[in-house]
Amino acid sequence: MSRLRPALLGLAVGLALADSSIVTLALPDVLGAFDVGITTVAWVLTSFNLVLALGAVPAAYLARRRPREAFAAGVVVFAGASLACGLAPSFDVLVGARCVQAAGAALLVCAALDLLSETLGSDERALGVWVTAGVVGAALGPAAGGVSTRLVGWESIFLVQVPVALALLLALRGLLARRVPEPAGRPHLTANLALLLVSGGLVAALFLVVLLLVDGWGMAPAAAGLVVTVMPAAAIVVARVRPRSLGGMTGVASGVILVAGGLAALGLLPRAGWAWTVPPQLLVGAGLGLALAGLTELALAGRADQVVHGGWTLAARHAGVVVGLVLLAPVLTDALEQSREEAIRAGAAEVLDSGIPPLDKLRVAQDVLDEVARANDAGELPSVERAFEGRPADGEWGSLVTALQDQLDRAITSAFSGPFLLAALLAASALVPVALLRRRRPA
Amino acid sequence: MRRASPLLVALGLVAAVVVPYLALGGASFEPTPTADPCATRDWRDPGGVGEALEQIALSSLDGAACKLGVTREELVLAVRSEDALERFAREQGISRDDAEQAVRDGMLRAVDDAEEAGVLSERVASLARRVVQAVPPWLVLQTLESLEFLLPG
Repeated sequence: MSRLRPALLGLAVGLALADSSIVTLALPDVLGAFDVGITTVAWVLTSFNLVLALGAVPAAYLARRRPREAFAAGVVVFAGASLACGLAPSFDVLVGARCVQAAGAALLVCAALDLLSETLGSDERALGVWVTAGVVGAALGPAAGGVSTRLVGWESIFLVQVPVALALLLALRGLLARRVPEPAGRPHLTANLALLLVSGGLVAALFLVVLLLVDGWGMAPAAAGLVVTVMPAAAIVVARVRPRSLGGMTGVASGVILVAGGLAALGLLPRAGWAWTVPPQLLVGAGLGLALAGLTELALAGRADQVVHGGWTLAARHAGVVVGLVLLAPVLTDALEQSREEAIRAGAAEVLDSGIPPLDKLRVAQDVLDEVARANDAGELPSVERAFEGRPADGEWGSLVTALQDQLDRAITSAFSGPFLLAALLAASALVPVALLRRRRPA
Repeated sequence: MRRASPLLVALGLVAAVVVPYLALGGASFEPTPTADPCATRDWRDPGGVGEALEQIALSSLDGAACKLGVTREELVLAVRSEDALERFAREQGISRDDAEQAVRDGMLRAVDDAEEAGVLSERVASLARRVVQAVPPWLVLQTLESLEFLLPG
């Protein structure tokens, strides 16, 4: 059990923090199930991250005296709330259950840090596992949620977590962890501010990339899940192999530059297609491995009571997620609306200038517009194939379908460009507190 | 400089991705802008009366769109049905009658242009003008197409 314990604790952290992003691809289904608007349904995502941000520090104070009991309580609350989410009869109950789920997550994640220290015998190693598990969980969450939603339904995202979470209580077998907590002292405000800003920018990498791949370009969630493993994989490799020269503030600053640069590259995609997202994801992942670990280490360095200061970094990261969601979601919504209009005009031009029979042109234009309206009502992106059902697929018709799909891809890709570039700016602004840190303590 | 080199490496890696993406058109990958309806479009060599009539219809849309200050594509989406034309008139802040008249004026201008260019005979042009003046805009092309078999080549 002592060998399995770090893995189980890491899995618990990853599972809990995956919930910060796991519903991303399920939002259209939740929207349909409860008949709510796009702005309202986003609360399923925002509420979890908001409560986690607000509850992390209080949870850490609760966990530091009795980490074993706090972990168990956190798991039970998380599992119970997950069950409530999966069985929610109304949208209000779902959002309420998500808030309780986040409170349980805060407790178990904070307690896990202390239990990892006890198990591994090293605060540094514990922190490494704790940060990495959280990053991997959050990065893989959207794809896992998307697959689950497509295969079974959105409720399965939550119901599957119940037995998994309860099984993780096995990590506590034979573990006695009772400590006398030291005074925690003030948090490291500058390091946590930098964490908040980088995390705000990372919202784009965690949420928008998956939305673009699956809802924008029509990729299957399982395939998209594979594509987005590039980012956490790069983060893990860099975090493990980073040389001494990349420790301290130089490593953090380099990491922030890579994150911001990768996000900017996502905003400048020259074509539609998953392969174009890989090099930017590698940059973001590598930057994550340097910046997140470095800033978390700095926020905890020399400070007593790792659990409380770990709680502060958890609060900073998820406050950053909330800031990112609040800033980027309306920008994306507006951009999609504008791009929709541009795509309709460009599509009409393609139809008018095509070689299909003249009398069919107005009819085709009408069918395309009807499909755009249907998709808009369903909260989906339009399908060119659906608009051309029952028509020839070759010759001038085939060329027209290809041309329309190209215009749609252009519209969708350009709509995501603004939010990615804004996220890059948000992440890059973390260089300001990092520069202040460098002046105080050179790398 | 030794301490700064990881920063330069990071900047270099970012440039290695961003610069090629920009060079490949990453800042301009967006829907094709629609053409200015007031600019002259080339007449394609029509293969028959049917294609000539189609070009007339499209040219008429350019003329009407130019007059209304909208694009040809916005106008074609507006003349697909009576409801669409009313919605278009509302969005442009003009009356439905003014919108319909602007479309008719554009169609008539295009017929004149086609006759002058020798694409349409005097007889066909005369018939096209009568259809344009008598039939709702969203039915003009359909009506002209259905009359094609009556017309000489």
